[in-house]
Amino acid sequence: MSDAAFEAFVRRFQDMVFATAVRLLGNPAEAEDVAQTVFLRAFERFDTIGDSPTAAGWLKAVTRHACLNHLARYRNRWRLFSEMGRDDESETPYEATLPSPDSPATAFERERQEQELERALRQLPDHQRVPLVLFHFDDMSYQAIATLLGVSLGKVKTDIHRGREALRKHLADTDASR
Amino acid sequence: MHRADLEQAVHDELRRLPLPEAPSTLLPRVMAAVQAWTFRPWYQRAWFTWPLGWQVMSLAAFVGLAGAGVVIAPSAEQAFVAAMAARTSAATAALGSVLGHAEAAIAAGRIVWRALGEPLVPYAFTVVLLMCIACVAFGTVLNRVAFERT
Repeated sequence: MSDAAFEAFVRRFQDMVFATAVRLLGNPAEAEDVAQTVFLRAFERFDTIGDSPTAAGWLKAVTRHACLNHLARYRNRWRLFSEMGRDDESETPYEATLPSPDSPATAFERERQEQELERALRQLPDHQRVPLVLFHFDDMSYQAIATLLGVSLGKVKTDIHRGREALRKHLADTDASR
Repeated sequence: MHRADLEQAVHDELRRLPLPEAPSTLLPRVMAAVQAWTFRPWYQRAWFTWPLGWQVMSLAAFVGLAGAGVVIAPSAEQAFVAAMAARTSAATAALGSVLGHAEAAIAAGRIVWRALGEPLVPYAFTVVLLMCIACVAFGTVLNRVAFERT
């Protein structure tokens, strides 16, 4: 195994690993730490996964578990706050926050909205962001997420819905401030 | 907006997001960690990757310790049994003494109870019963007056 081969491996997958970590953790510094740990584990098994077509899936699964372990110490807070009521109802329709296909939205405007959405996603509380990311980015089912996180199916559905509502509200606020 | 519509709309928006780029510091950090891992001392690695001399020495030490254990075990067992027997007899004597003291204390307690405690039992029972009745009456009045329940 050569350092050059591993460096190429890291260059190829670093964005994917970092994106998975930063979306689950909501913190770029912690995501970088987790990404480093994941790549070190990959280095230990580089002989088997280096050229494997399943390398991306392996990296994503290891990153996901590393992030959940990282968040484990916040699990109590996660359960407590997720049971509290919310008062962030918004009457603004979600569609109103999105540019219509016919609108003359510029690429700059689109990029700005994407940055806002990414920021809003990272600002969600752990108990909403984690299942939301697992559902929408990792294509996991509600039941699989509930099993992975060790919480009830109803709680997962509620948390994800509240996360979506929070994103909708954030985008509505952004749209209104323009 | 219905749940399903919200789910689809959020899903479409999130999936359109570009992949966040890894910071430029990640690659140097990973390669530095890999270098440190590669050149870590031999004793932090798996045993089968140790230098041959250390493998032989550690194996010999292990065999020596195991052999010493086998040789020493019978005499150690005898010594342990003898020590336990001595301690057991001493503990039995001490226990007998403690039991004697406990019996005397219980007898004294009985005398005190008959002289002072038993005459007061009916009065104490009456006081507790009256307090319970008073609590129930107070609770009922409070429920009707303060909370307007019937």
